[in-house]
Amino acid sequence: MNNDACGPSDEEIVVQVLSGNVNAFEQLLKRYQNHVLRIVKKHLPPEHVLDMAQDVFVRVYQSLPTFKGESNFGQWLSTIAARACYDFWRKHSKFREFPLSHFTEKQQVWLEETLSENSNQSFEESIFQREAQEVLDWALERLSAEDRMVLELVYLEGHSVKEAARLLGWSAANVKVRSFRSRKKLYNLLSKQLKGRRRRR
Amino acid sequence: MSFTKHERERLRDILKRAYRGKENLELGELRWDDLRDSLRSADTIQPMPRFLMVFAQFVWQIAPVVSLLILALTGVLLALDLTSGYDVFQVLMNGREESTLSQMLGI
Repeated sequence: MNNDACGPSDEEIVVQVLSGNVNAFEQLLKRYQNHVLRIVKKHLPPEHVLDMAQDVFVRVYQSLPTFKGESNFGQWLSTIAARACYDFWRKHSKFREFPLSHFTEKQQVWLEETLSENSNQSFEESIFQREAQEVLDWALERLSAEDRMVLELVYLEGHSVKEAARLLGWSAANVKVRSFRSRKKLYNLLSKQLKGRRRRR
Repeated sequence: MSFTKHERERLRDILKRAYRGKENLELGELRWDDLRDSLRSADTIQPMPRFLMVFAQFVWQIAPVVSLLILALTGVLLALDLTSGYDVFQVLMNGREESTLSQMLGI
């Protein structure tokens, strides 16, 4: 993704844009639009993805003078995208703009069956996958912006602590502690739902 | 109630796949015209001059030492006996018409 086979490199395009050829930025847009969309889709609700992807490219454009080429352009852009998503959740969790969904009886049954030893459900089944996404979203919306981002980057995406720290601009120690706590919160949230169901039976 | 190790592993596996599944959502393409408009109206940020960056870094590095120094000096200042100095000053100011040069010089 870094460079087209016959086109200029990302770094060359950045130099062109900074020296006044603003239209050259469109090449970077086309080269990286899927990359940015992939990142944003994972972190944000679907209805906010396109606006955020657009915002990420505006931020990238405004920050071009600070790109020193120390990391490759894709990595640098990923950092901007991840931090934009973090800003989104920080802003929204501050004002509690999204109503919290309820953990339904159906989701409780799903969770219990999924975790049982003799579960034979296949993830490929679309219903199963949809339930899993709903349960995940239910838990994530109950976490703070910081816990949410760390959980997504480290626990769900499998980034190393160092990578997640670079993406968020935090210290590795902070990410490590957050990662442990957010995982614990996730398990607590889900286990409480199972406990409630088992008590009722 | 907490999950067993097996349950945690299974849960993580399922949630990871659900999370990755979000990548495949079909949401359409970026709105190119809107994006071009936003870019046209956005100015690129001028990079901070190098000496300012170095200065900013330096200021933050010495900030804790300076704060400690200010606290220590405040403590020292409060511990000093300023009253006596003030009294001497008052005496000198009030009786200045009676004091002669020899008195002031302590001869």
